[in-house]
Amino acid sequence: MTRVLITGGGSGLGQALAAQCRAQAGMSVCVVDIAPPADGASDWITHDMGDPANDSWSALSDTLAAKGPFDLVILNAGINATGRYEQVPVAAHLAVARVNLLGPMRLLHILLHKNLLTSGGRVVFISSLSVFTGYPGAASYAASKDGLACLARSLRKPLRKAGNIHVQLVCPGPMDTPHATRHAPEGARADRRIDPAKVARMILAQPGRRFLLVPGAGARMAAAAGRAFPQTMTRIMGKVLFRKLT
Amino acid sequence: MKAKLIFVTGGASGLGLELVRAARRNGHRVICTGRRGAQDLPVDFPDIPYLSCDLASEDGAHMAADWALQHSVGQIGCALLNAADGYFRPMTLETPDAITRVLSVNLEANMILAHRLYPALGGGHLALIGSVAHKGAAGMPVYAASKAALDGFGRALAEEWRGRTYVRVLHPGPTATGMAERAGRRPNAADKLFLAPRPMAQAVLDAALATTGRDRQVISYGRVLFSPARWRRKGAA
Ligand SMILES: NC(=O)c1ccc[n+]([C@@H]2O[C@H](COP(=O)([O-])OP(=O)(O)OC[C@H]3O[C@@H](n4cnc5c(N)ncnc54)[C@H](OP(=O)(O)O)[C@@H]3O)[C@@H](O)[C@H]2O)c1
Ligand SMILES: NC(=O)c1ccc[n+]([C@@H]2O[C@H](COP(=O)([O-])OP(=O)(O)OC[C@H]3O[C@@H](n4cnc5c(N)ncnc54)[C@H](OP(=O)(O)O)[C@@H]3O)[C@@H](O)[C@H]2O)c1
Repeated sequence: MTRVLITGGGSGLGQALAAQCRAQAGMSVCVVDIAPPADGASDWITHDMGDPANDSWSALSDTLAAKGPFDLVILNAGINATGRYEQVPVAAHLAVARVNLLGPMRLLHILLHKNLLTSGGRVVFISSLSVFTGYPGAASYAASKDGLACLARSLRKPLRKAGNIHVQLVCPGPMDTPHATRHAPEGARADRRIDPAKVARMILAQPGRRFLLVPGAGARMAAAAGRAFPQTMTRIMGKVLFRKLT
Repeated sequence: MKAKLIFVTGGASGLGLELVRAARRNGHRVICTGRRGAQDLPVDFPDIPYLSCDLASEDGAHMAADWALQHSVGQIGCALLNAADGYFRPMTLETPDAITRVLSVNLEANMILAHRLYPALGGGHLALIGSVAHKGAAGMPVYAASKAALDGFGRALAEEWRGRTYVRVLHPGPTATGMAERAGRRPNAADKLFLAPRPMAQAVLDAALATTGRDRQVISYGRVLFSPARWRRKGAA
């Protein structure tokens, strides 16, 4: 039995990942989400990944110890706060940093500390294309996703050595999820965004266990451009995205 | 260059203290915060306004912002956000409280300060002190991630504020401030190669106050040892 742990499994990409795992024989899923399960699913832990209180994390730690160890962990839960940095309340920016970066760190710390990752298993970090392009108009989000990508890069070798655990970094561009609809500029076309079910299939099917996965040809091109011309790419993002958001 | 009001965080020791000294040498007015109490300042600490406050708490960052806005009468020429915390150790040896604190000081406090100081930074400079570790570092994953986050933050903010405030993320290379040992790294032969804090601080300050140059810059051996300003000053001395 392959045991899968998915954060933010209640919507969007996380939901697609959970649904595909549930449909496969020999896979059991455990979702961590801030909202209680909509359909009364039993494989569910209700937990706020951005909770600053230690109590809720101790409770999560006990629950995970009972359900684990896990063969596949997907750190997917994420929120955004878009607009001119100074005009978005600072509390919203801090929440983004906590849910998207501090939460995954704390969860990983529990999993490593309690030995809840199986040897030969993998940990998948859902970051963003913003790592390559920059993301003016979402400074706190860009911060959190750069932090998460760096965490994946830093842990890659140590986890491989310590427990033969594979680390993977996924940097999706715009996906057609509730998240994207909330944060895209007005008038942006949904049909240009990649289907989360397709991204989920790519993540679950990863044959060669490549470290970096940038799903979709358009996103891969943007990533390559951002790698070669980081500041130019951010300036373009400023022109095509930020000016529209604000 | 016109004298500016320069605000430094973590200015009581290490690179921050050298930044304070460099800014004063260059004729600027300096105010700074630090974690330690005023009674624990170095004996030769300059006679400048100092606020002791812990940036690991949200209140601390807001307190620092209130204080800076009050002392600068609403006009900050340059904010050098330098204070940072971190450990040289693997994830398994981290503790939840330390992870939370490192992210608070290295990322969240700077996010709060940038947000609060925005009105006073019109026409001024905001420099976020990162680290070359932002590319990833197996020996210090939490610290490295906090600095990568700061890099992505400044990258976005530089574009958002372009034309109003110069935002820079400056990534120093290894500097002999003793930070590495305090962070738990055992001293070794590589320490001899660490850069001296004083020229590093001057190079960081020059980059922070420049009106040209990239938004994100590594300040390491090349920039510190071969900076034109350094040779100019040597020639003058
Ligand atoms: N969509 C895109 O265009 C895009 C692009 C690049 C990267 N990504 C990343 O991909 C991941 C999935 O995005 P998505 O588009 O699928 O987002 P989504 O539709 O908003 O789904 C995110 C899920 O995470 C949950 N969640 C939110 N806050 C949480 C918290 N504090 N603790 C636990 N769970 C929480 C949400 O619950 P509620 O619904 O109850 O809030 C939701 O179930 C995110 O990390 C996102 O940043 C998305
Ligand atoms: N040294 C290096 O090799 C190196 C390399 C790359 C980047 N950097 C970066 O350069 C900057 C300065 O480094 P450094 O070498 O001077 O480090 P350091 O000697 O450890 O100094 C850190 C400073 O931050 C202050 N600080 C720490 N935690 C704080 C808190 N909770 N609240 C308020 N202030 C706090 C300290 O204050 P107290 O002294 O009062 O405790 C100290 O002034 C940091 O951003 C660091 O990450 C350093």
